[in-house]
Parts: sequence; C-alpha cells; structure tokens
Amino acid sequence: MIQQLFVDRLGRYLYEKGRLLGRYVRGGRTIHTIVTFRAAVDAVIPRTPDLAAELGPEHVPGGLEIGLAEYLISYVNHGFQLGLPQLGPRGTVALARPVATLLDAAALKLILRGDHTSPPSSTYVWPLISEDDSSPVPFLRAAGPFARLHPEDRLRAVGIIDEIDVEISRSEDELFEFNGGLVGQLVVGFAKLIYYCEWQGYEDYELPQSARKFTEDPGSIQGWAQTGYPGVANGYPALRGYLGTEDGPLGAGEIWTTVDDDPDRPAYIREEPGQFRENDYDTSDFEEVVPEETR
Amino acid sequence: MVADAYDAVIIGAGADGPVVAWKLAEAGLSVLLLEAGPFHGNKQWPKPHEEPGAEASSSVDDLSGELLDEQFTTREFEMVNNLLFGPADYKRGFWMRKFPGDGAILQCAGVGGTTLHYTGCHPRAYPAAIDEQGHWPISYADLIPYYQELEAVCDVTPAPVTAKEELFFRGAAAAGWDLIDEANVTRPGYRPQPNAIRPPDAMLHVDAGYDGDYSAADLTGHTLGVCDISGNPHPRGAPFEEKAKRASNISFVPLGLRTGNLTIRPNAFVTDIKTKPASGGRPIATGVTFRDTWSGDVESVAADVTVLAAGAIETPRLWLNSGLPTNEWVGRGLTIHYGDNVMGLWTAADLERTIGQGTVDQFQGQDIAARFDYPGLGMLQTVGTTPGIGAILGFGASAAGFAFQHDTTGEPWDTTGRLAGRQLKELLAGYRRMLQVLVVSDDHPHRRNGVTVRRGIADEHGPIPLVNYRPSQADRVRRDKLARIAAKILRAGGATHIHRSDSPPTALHLHSTMRMGKVVDDGCEAYDVGRLFVADHSVLANGLGGPNPTLTGQAVAARSAAQIQERYFT
Repeated sequence: MIQQLFVDRLGRYLYEKGRLLGRYVRGGRTIHTIVTFRAAVDAVIPRTPDLAAELGPEHVPGGLEIGLAEYLISYVNHGFQLGLPQLGPRGTVALARPVATLLDAAALKLILRGDHTSPPSSTYVWPLISEDDSSPVPFLRAAGPFARLHPEDRLRAVGIIDEIDVEISRSEDELFEFNGGLVGQLVVGFAKLIYYCEWQGYEDYELPQSARKFTEDPGSIQGWAQTGYPGVANGYPALRGYLGTEDGPLGAGEIWTTVDDDPDRPAYIREEPGQFRENDYDTSDFEEVVPEETR
Repeated sequence: MVADAYDAVIIGAGADGPVVAWKLAEAGLSVLLLEAGPFHGNKQWPKPHEEPGAEASSSVDDLSGELLDEQFTTREFEMVNNLLFGPADYKRGFWMRKFPGDGAILQCAGVGGTTLHYTGCHPRAYPAAIDEQGHWPISYADLIPYYQELEAVCDVTPAPVTAKEELFFRGAAAAGWDLIDEANVTRPGYRPQPNAIRPPDAMLHVDAGYDGDYSAADLTGHTLGVCDISGNPHPRGAPFEEKAKRASNISFVPLGLRTGNLTIRPNAFVTDIKTKPASGGRPIATGVTFRDTWSGDVESVAADVTVLAAGAIETPRLWLNSGLPTNEWVGRGLTIHYGDNVMGLWTAADLERTIGQGTVDQFQGQDIAARFDYPGLGMLQTVGTTPGIGAILGFGASAAGFAFQHDTTGEPWDTTGRLAGRQLKELLAGYRRMLQVLVVSDDHPHRRNGVTVRRGIADEHGPIPLVNYRPSQADRVRRDKLARIAAKILRAGGATHIHRSDSPPTALHLHSTMRMGKVVDDGCEAYDVGRLFVADHSVLANGLGGPNPTLTGQAVAARSAAQIQERYFT
C-alpha cells in the first residue's frame, strides 16, 4: 500500500517533470520522450560488437544507429486517431509521451520490488546520446528511471506493464478487460517491425507514397543485411512440384523426390498439380479431443 | 453517382460483401456496395491514399491492373500501413479499437477487405465442426454446393511445393502423420494448402532455368515470391482480373461490376441502420446513413434489403450503435482461432541433407502453402514472411514475458516468450534458415467474448468497438497440444532450435459474433429486424474447427444471397 502511494506520487512528480522538460522540445517531442524511446530501442535491438567475430561486422549496429527511436516516436504519435482533425476535437492521439511516462512508472515499480539486477545509473544513459546531439546535458537531466536502467532491466520493466491487467466481469457471461499490453507492442513489437522491414530504405517515409523514393541497394538496409533478406523480388524459380501419391488425385507426372517413404502409401513431390478428392465423410464417431468442461 | 434508393445496400466490401453483391446484381437487382476504406487499382482513384478521388465506381472498365501494380509495392511496412483498418488518407492513423488482451486485431479496410492481406488459404470447414459440435442450425452438406461453386470461381488448387513446404512435409511424415488428399477432412494429417491462388507457371520449376522478369509478358499465376500478406499484385503487367491471388477484389468485384447493376462506393463509413416499425412489433430495415471519410459529409440511402457485411467487429458495433433491438447474443461468442507461433531453426548442413540446399529461404513460394489438420484441435500452417512481419509475428509479442525469464527444461522448445537484445539479433541472423509454423486452434464460442460499446468511448463514427476475449481452459489446452505437435514436426524435420512465442490472443481470423441460430436465422436474416441480413464471418456459428474461414464465410454469404432473392425478390 505504501509502495503504491509512493509510485503514485512519483508518477505525479514525473508528469510534472515531463511538463517542465517540455521546454526542451525537438520537433514537438520532449527530450524526455526521446531519451526514453532510445532506451527502449537500445534494449530491444542493441548495438552488439561481440557479434562481429561470430557473424560478421554487419551485425554490430543496432536500432539507434538508424534513428529508429525518433521514427518510432513519430509513428506512435501519428498511428492512431479518433476522427477528422478539421471536424471537432478528435484528431490524432499522440501516445509517445504517455508511453514514456508509463515506462518510467514501471521502472520505479521494478526498483521498488527489488527485481532489477543492476543499480540504475547514468552510465546506461550515455550510450543513448549520439555525436549528432548538440550536448549530452539535456539528455542526462531528462533521463528518467527507465533510461537509467540496465538494458535487460528495461525489458523487465516492460514486463511489469504487461502485468497491468484489469478484468471487470460482472458475471461469467460479461467481460471487460483492459491491460497495458499496448505499451509493449509499441516499444517492442513495432520497434522490431520497423527495424527489420524496409523503412530505412526510404529517403523520406513521411512523404505520400507517390513521392517516396526507395533505395535501389537493399544491402544498405541494416535489418535486411543482418537477416540476409535479399529485398523485394518479382518472383523466384523455386517450384519443386506438387505433393501427391502414386494413386491419389493430388499431383501427377514425374517424381522430384519422396517426402514420405511409408511403404503402404509413399508421398512424392510430382510434376503436375492435382485436385483434392470430393470424399464421402462420416462424422458420427467424432469426439472432442478436449471437451469444453472447464471455463 | 450514388442514387437515393437501391434494391439492396451492402455494408462492407471485404471477403464476403462482394459475393452477395455479385449474386444479387447477377439476379438483376440494383445493388450499392459501401466500403469504409479505399478502392485500389481503380481509375476513379488514381492516388487512393492521397486524394479523395471520385465518388463511386460502376464499371468494370474502371479496374486497372497497372494502377494496382503501382499501388501494391509489396514492401511490407508501406503495405501494412496502407491496408490495415483505417481511413484512406495516409496522413491519418488507424481507427481505434480496444484489443483483446495483449494482442491485436489484424483487419484491413479497402475494397477486398482483409483478403487484401490474406494468404489465399481457402480450405473448407471440418465437417465435424458443423455437424457434431452442436452450434450450427444447418449441415455441412448444405454448404458443399456453395463450396464447389466458389472453389471454381476462385481457382482453388493444392498449393505448389518449394523448399519450405518440402521441409515441413518431411517433418510431418517423419513425425508419423499421414498425407490427406481429401476436400472434407475428418482425420489428422498433413496436406498442401487449398489456395485461391493461380498455380505458378511450369517455367518457374527449379530445373527450368528461368531468367526473366516474372511479368505477365512471360507467364501466368503466382510468381513464387512471398508477398501475399503485402497485397501480391503479381504477375506485374497482368490485367486486374488476371492477378494470381484471388482476393475478393480480384475474383468477385469484377463479376459484380460486369452485370451493370452494381455500384461500389469506397471511403463511406456506415454509422446508422435505419428502421421503421412494422406489424407484429418487429421493425424492418429501410436503409443506411454513411459518412464520407475524407470530407465528413453525411448521406443516406434507402434500400428494400440491407445487408451487414462489415466483419465480426464492425457488424455488431454498427448494430449496437444503431440502437437496434437487443439480443443477448449480438456481438457475443467471438472466436479468433486463439493462436501461437512455433519457429524452427536449422543448420546449413542439416538443410543440405534434408532439402538439398543450405537455406530454407522462406521468402520464396506462396506465403502459406503447407498445412496440418486435426479436427477437434485445429490446424497448423507454415508461414513464409518477410523479416519485419516475421519479427513481430514470431518474436514480438508474448503472453509469457521475455525469453530470458524462462527455463524451458523438459519442454519441446528451446526458448519461449518475447525475444530481445543480442538473442533476437543472433536468432534473426538465421532468417534464411528458419521456418515459422502458425498454430490455429479450435476455440469455442463463449458468450463473454465479443464486442461491446460504451457511450463516451467514441470516435468520429460513434462508440468504438471494445473487443474482449478470454479463452477457456479447454481452448488453452487445444492450443497447447497443437503447439507441441508443431514442435515435434519441426524437430522431426531436423530443426536444431525451436522457439515458441506463447502469443497473446491475436485476431487474424474473426468470427461468430452474430451467430446463425442466435442473432440471425438459418437464412441469415436478423430475428429481431426484418429485411436486415448479415452476410459476413460474424454469422458463422463457431470457428469451423480451425480452418481458415474465408471460403466458408463466402459460401454462407452466397447462400444468404439466394435466401434474399427467395424471400423478397421473387
């Protein structure tokens, strides 16, 4: 109970601090939001120098090197809306700042529980500051508890948000649940989607589709280089054939290979496509494998 | 131009609405098909995400394969943002819904609906799920003639085998399962996907030495690059109707427009179903009010028959927001095929031995082309993904926290949960040697699960859908059994590392929120509102046992169209 009160008070403090830090704004985003999102990105897709020896130098850079945190803020701020901006107050729902505040609240909860593995420290903030930032000072001042956590502890903090799970059920037949899962989806799931997709290959993704320029060098996209994905292709000469048996309707013609050497009914990959058999069916002996006994 | 009145107005041009539209228009009725999202590949909207364009399209000559080629780049991020459920205007975000649990709802807006993203999978339901589970007022035999007709219209054939399918089939066979060659599945086993995708040209055989540009000048059919989730407009250069993936915009929309009796109006979000009192106390539907998603302008149209085909989330939302008579099952009984992801990773040497090449190359072939059926549990299917979608699908979400927090001793998988940090990068470095299997379970309809609305939690179209979902213990056990079978198949196929996501409830397939026998009668007319039909996946009385629902949704829609004619237009 006391801990909860403490978290609530700190939450309010952080909110106020966030408002004050709103003075340090870059393109509509507070420094606090930027450093918090950088901290999340750095935990999910970090720089990994030790992978160089194992996998090659292309596997070293992480999300921060391609400006993923800044774009993720923009995506989260523009991704959801409640109505036409010119008609009434329901425009876009800018979620980045509340998400950043929630990550700090989760970090505090982790620390209060004692579930963190390393003491919070500004040491963990320094890697979030790039040479392109004019000065490290605003970042160090703005960094909240989440950014001060060890990267693995940041993931534990995201896990705490996942635990927020409110279920309001008036009866067995009525359910209304709400939880913090969206936060993890945004800073973990979407971070991965954007990192490993083609996003980095656009000169400017914010332009309309007809004006977007896309790279002709797929290898320059970091996520693709690190997965070995060769880029979008019109097709591949990859056809091996069609699954089929000796006497069945699926697949006919020359045999490419055998995939099932069952002596009674071997299955092959054959040259020509076939069809499924329009079979009689009898379901009278059907039994539920897992009967619906418990709820 | 949109007229003031039609014989039938259909709400939603997703998988099912175009089927009803085609059938009714073919019968000579005047039909208006309203769609909340844009119309891609249509000359009336040359830049559908940038400019409002024209009002409506009534001619098959408006369809343009060239424009579809231009708009469907198949780049995954661009296509996800263009197609997911939101307004056409690229500057605006997605329409808000409350998600079930920690998961997400994956639905599209646009003519074609979620079939723009779907992977062409068109299997029939399991007969036992219709005839034996006690949910359906009609029998499996009633559906067969519709299945047969639509399979022919959509060019459903057993999917081709590339390296990733061969790998899965070898694993399934080695794990002791049998090959199924039947259309009506009553026993467990593996088989090629029945896909509504035209088969690849024979010149794409690995031994044929093809070295062209994969355009329609050279070939027909699927070009064997994974991009079905990203819209797949291949072969490039083919006319609109000759694209390989038979999404509903490609298959049914041209058939409907060709009748000359169908008008399609995209960018029109229906916000109200209008009714008038009738004798016997049961009101009848008289038309709809809709809102232009670019301008916000509101219009109304009258119709003799109104057909709800907005999908399992928006159909009950619209019912509830229209203040139609309440029924305890409106919006309830949602099934989502409560699913999971199990991924296998191979060494290059093992792959050389098994499939004769050191990589799986999951980006080749049709996205989903191999499956495993188990009536009573559900199904498994292989999924080839491009890396971004693969990362979020396989490793981005979990109901079980992060992988480093789990001990997997004694389990058939090596890691489970969300992956992050060095572990994520290291595993995804093996992208070309991995294959994901999607677990799709037969979750049962429970009244607590579904769509509700609350005054005050609203967007521009009224209260937003609040989607609630909690699987039963039996649902969880079915999913777990399937995940274990998937792990054994991958292991039997030689995978050296297996990862289970333990995904949160994520709705790729959505059904049974306006169930036949509960909200609508066996002809899909609402019990409580006359002349109002529902013709989308929401009328399915359960989750079909687990198979992909597109074909059955369309079969039931075609059957509803016959009922509409019989009841009101003979």
